[in-house]
Amino acid sequence: MPDAVLTLEGVRKSYDKGKPTENEVLHGVDLALGRGEFVALIGPSGSGKSTLLNVIGLLDRPDAGKLFVEGRDTSRLDEHALTRLRGHTIGFVFQYHYLLSAFSAIENVMMPLLLERGRPDAAMRERAAALLEKVGLARWAANPVGNLSGGQQQRVAVARALAMGPPLVLADEPTGNLDTKSADGVFELMREVNAANGTAFLVVTHDPRLAARCDRVVELVDGRIVTDAVRRAA
Amino acid sequence: MPFEWIAAMRFLAEGRMQTAFILVGAAIGVAVIVFLSAILTGMQQNIIRRSLLSQAHIVIQPAEEVARPQPRGVPGGGEVSVVQKRAQRLLSIDQWQKIVDEVRGVPGVKVVSPTVAGPAFALRGDASKSVSVNGIVPEEYNRIVPLPDKMVAGTWRLASTDVLVGDELAKDLGAGVGDKLRLATAAGSGVTLTITGIFDLGSRGVNERNAYVLLRTAQDLLNLPGGASAIDVTVDDVWAAEDVAQRITARVGLQADSWIRTNQQFFIALNAQTISNIVLRISVGVSVALGIASVLVVSVVQKSREIGILRAMGASRRQVMDVFLIQGGIVGLAGSFIGSAIAAVALRMFQGMLRNPDGTPLFLLPFDPRLVAWAAVIATLTGLAAAVTPARRAAKLDPVVAIRA
Repeated sequence: MPDAVLTLEGVRKSYDKGKPTENEVLHGVDLALGRGEFVALIGPSGSGKSTLLNVIGLLDRPDAGKLFVEGRDTSRLDEHALTRLRGHTIGFVFQYHYLLSAFSAIENVMMPLLLERGRPDAAMRERAAALLEKVGLARWAANPVGNLSGGQQQRVAVARALAMGPPLVLADEPTGNLDTKSADGVFELMREVNAANGTAFLVVTHDPRLAARCDRVVELVDGRIVTDAVRRAA
Repeated sequence: MPFEWIAAMRFLAEGRMQTAFILVGAAIGVAVIVFLSAILTGMQQNIIRRSLLSQAHIVIQPAEEVARPQPRGVPGGGEVSVVQKRAQRLLSIDQWQKIVDEVRGVPGVKVVSPTVAGPAFALRGDASKSVSVNGIVPEEYNRIVPLPDKMVAGTWRLASTDVLVGDELAKDLGAGVGDKLRLATAAGSGVTLTITGIFDLGSRGVNERNAYVLLRTAQDLLNLPGGASAIDVTVDDVWAAEDVAQRITARVGLQADSWIRTNQQFFIALNAQTISNIVLRISVGVSVALGIASVLVVSVVQKSREIGILRAMGASRRQVMDVFLIQGGIVGLAGSFIGSAIAAVALRMFQGMLRNPDGTPLFLLPFDPRLVAWAAVIATLTGLAAAVTPARRAAKLDPVVAIRA
């Protein structure tokens, strides 16, 4: 793919490497994500979805194969460079929001910028306020995140994932903990961001309804990609 | 404010109970250390102040006279002899004026005052008391023992026919200011003097025995014309007295005894106290550190997911580590301030409880601000040290494991 945000070439990953319990979870995965794509990653439990997401998210290194992020070969990067690259190019939304309970909504959204720049400034606060506005939570900006509902917390998490303006957001069961209505709202929000900013999304989901609303569906079974179908043109 | 500080403060504020517990723990530790240290130094200073009140820091005396038998020299033959120790006469320091000038030039020396001291009887009517006659140069000697502050009657000024006596001696002799007093020595010389002042140096023994006269009066009485039997010296730093004494000995070749050497027993006791205080400080410090460390370890476990997400969002290991180090430092610093305040109140109460019969405080316990500054520094370092293990644990958290856990 010429303008790929992410390219995987023959990625393998084992757990308990070198031990009798060694277990290869990913058996040579090839995958490319283009700019602005909205992709669902589906598959049964134990198929290796989470492992694949960790590798793509630069949280875990592949044992074999190559991973390019924005054209850069990540196998050559050290821990520090990897942390920086992750901070700049990948936003995370997890099943559980993992917001910092000691901080307000707007401070949580500012957090990636704060980590990058070291100390808070006005520009940071403005950007975070704009993102909260976008996810419909401008009114709750100063609230401690513990006071927000599950759907609101997940919206804050989405805003936080977008703080650095990353070209790619990885969402692991982003609506798994939400009721249907909130889930729909959060999913719609991600689609809107995708359409407005051209941010690529890779959404891991169990929910066939959600998968059906993505542009492309990649199915992983037993550590191999078995189907990769484009549902409709982006 | 940098991210690490913001996060550290927020984490502390969030864990209200835990933070309160470690703060109280650290504060109690600091309070105990500050309180005990203040009491110990206060007591030591009091004892030293009292014992140095009527005593020079260093006393220079003439060389002891020793018997030197002349060997008769029987070639090849042995010789057995018993050498009897020589009785010590009252001697003058040879060329004491020159030595006084030289000692004044020794670094660390403050006041140098020649004296003539010897035994005599104080006679008045039927009463006879043995006294220690001290011939002094009042202007110099006052800077060693502040006689003007210690007078209870009369004046400290001395003429050649005047004498100052202690209040106990005055009572024993039934004498007051203006009365005549005869001083006589065993050798037969004597002089009649007028009591011009009565002093109280705070020690019964000194008040019973000491009589102060002019140097020249004592020289005549004790048959040391133009001489000085000892040179009293005070130094700038009382703790360096022994060093200064050795310097004096090296320069003038005379025995110089510092108060540290003459009160060795006292110093051994003082050292034992100081050492036990240090042991106590270390034990309290270690237990406070362990308290801080255990609470922070729990906090790291509780926050492991949040730490994992911070790492996923781009926080470096260093940043995560600093967040927890700073928490330890803040707890130590804040604990030291609270603890110092508690100690200050406790010291005030303690001082109020222990009083002399006349209502003055038994001890003067100065609350030294330097002690607080030290406590702050040490407590902060202790907090930092205590936070090292939890902080490294936090920094080592694998974001994947932390999030999945």
